[in-house]
Amino acid sequence: MFSRLLSYLQLAAAYIRLNLNAHLEYRGAFFTQMVAMLLNNLVWVAFWGLFFTRFPVLRGWTVQDVITLWAIAGTGFGLAHTVCGNALQLSSLIVQGQLDVWILYPRALLPHLLLGRMNAMSWGDLLFGYGVYLFFVKPDLVHLALFTGLTVSVAMLFVGFNVLTGSLSFYLGNSEGLTQQWRNAMLTFTTYPATLFEGTVKLLLYTLIPAGFVSYLPIEALRSLSGIHALLAVAGSTTVLLVGVAVFYHGLRRYSSGNLMQMRG
Amino acid sequence: MNSLNKYTWIGWTAARSNLAYLGEVASRGIFLFVILYIFLQLWRVTYAETNAEQLGGLTLTQMLWYLGITESITLSSPQVALEVDEDVRTGALAVQLIRPLSYPLYRLWTTLGERIVRFGVNVAIASTVALLFVGTIPLSFGGILLFLLVLPLAFVLDFLATFLVGLGAFWLENTTGLMLIYSRLTMILGGMLIPLELLPESWQPVLQNLPFASILYGPARVFVHPDLAFASELLVRQGVAIGILALLVALVYRTAVKRIHAHGG
Repeated sequence: MFSRLLSYLQLAAAYIRLNLNAHLEYRGAFFTQMVAMLLNNLVWVAFWGLFFTRFPVLRGWTVQDVITLWAIAGTGFGLAHTVCGNALQLSSLIVQGQLDVWILYPRALLPHLLLGRMNAMSWGDLLFGYGVYLFFVKPDLVHLALFTGLTVSVAMLFVGFNVLTGSLSFYLGNSEGLTQQWRNAMLTFTTYPATLFEGTVKLLLYTLIPAGFVSYLPIEALRSLSGIHALLAVAGSTTVLLVGVAVFYHGLRRYSSGNLMQMRG
Repeated sequence: MNSLNKYTWIGWTAARSNLAYLGEVASRGIFLFVILYIFLQLWRVTYAETNAEQLGGLTLTQMLWYLGITESITLSSPQVALEVDEDVRTGALAVQLIRPLSYPLYRLWTTLGERIVRFGVNVAIASTVALLFVGTIPLSFGGILLFLLVLPLAFVLDFLATFLVGLGAFWLENTTGLMLIYSRLTMILGGMLIPLELLPESWQPVLQNLPFASILYGPARVFVHPDLAFASELLVRQGVAIGILALLVALVYRTAVKRIHAHGG
């Protein structure tokens, strides 16, 4: 079991290195995309900065909390898709019958497939997340350690959620539009304080659009160094990941080959 | 067929082609619904916590209608830069150049055709959300007329800016990053998320005169608060910005076209 885990970690490291080298072949495009994403996120931080300049407290949340939220969401999203970039492509890979090429390898299909691609823009998210957290929030070592742990939990949540939504294509055929909409809703909700929502919407944020595991529990864990909130955040992310994996493998039974000749370069 | 007829026909064809996929266009409206709901919650809490009847001269009802219009304009934007970028990089532009029409004008009219359909659908969704959650605002025939006067100019202005970004493909490997930066600047400086009145006072004279405000803030403000003097100033600003950007497009396009190399085959 341990040696298997180690083998997959080595595989992940090898893919990260290879994918990064592939992106660095087109340095200009890679850095432009990375910087653009960094600036994109900074614009949102600027929005919140301007908002809080005018209205200092929002249901007990301050600008520090919203910056922490953006930092944790950005780092988690960045980490998820620099390592598992194919999580964002799952729907189209299924629809176009491109799983064939991955099925042929002597590796577990889902982790191998997810590791196969790196999303260049996610580097921007990753740098942005740590950058704004260190620069604006100025955490002590304990907070930084907890933040790092929670970003891994958020990354697991994003990968799990993308696998779950992408796997819809096994059941519905071309569901790229629906996957995209669902993902957009999740991303949007993860970047606004969960304290804004009540009732049914709050319930949605812990079930169908599980953004509450990014936009509330990790922030509360960091605000009050609360182990319970941190554990609940990790439990939520693990559950979403497990549901995603289960739906993927259940859906895989319905997969038929795309009859597509393809080579991986 | 005279020139105007030709281009009107191109615009009409683009609109009809979008109407044929109305379901797909409408499905993108789900995101608009989500984002407007989140904004409603954000501003509802803000108005409640500040005990304010009006913020930046707008009531909560007007604020949601304002955001509905700015979001509808933003989300109706066709991917002009991406299309121009593709035409440049794939060489498809060379084929466009042998047609008996101007490439920039062809793109302009296609964009306008697409955009009118998308904006129509978005406004229908935004109005439904606003009516459902906050009710109506007083509308007058004159106000709507003023709005319909400034809106197409906002579309033309946005087109010129995005076309210019797309032409960047002659010199850059990829213009996606540049486009992302442009759209985020428009969001903040154009008052998509916060009306300009709520931004720092010292910024306002500059922001009002930047083209971003003429694309989003201006038309939305005219819609919720019709005012002849404001609309007249806006029309002048739009006219000047269109003139300057059109000159810039002509200059860059002329320089860029000289870089085209035709290959046989």
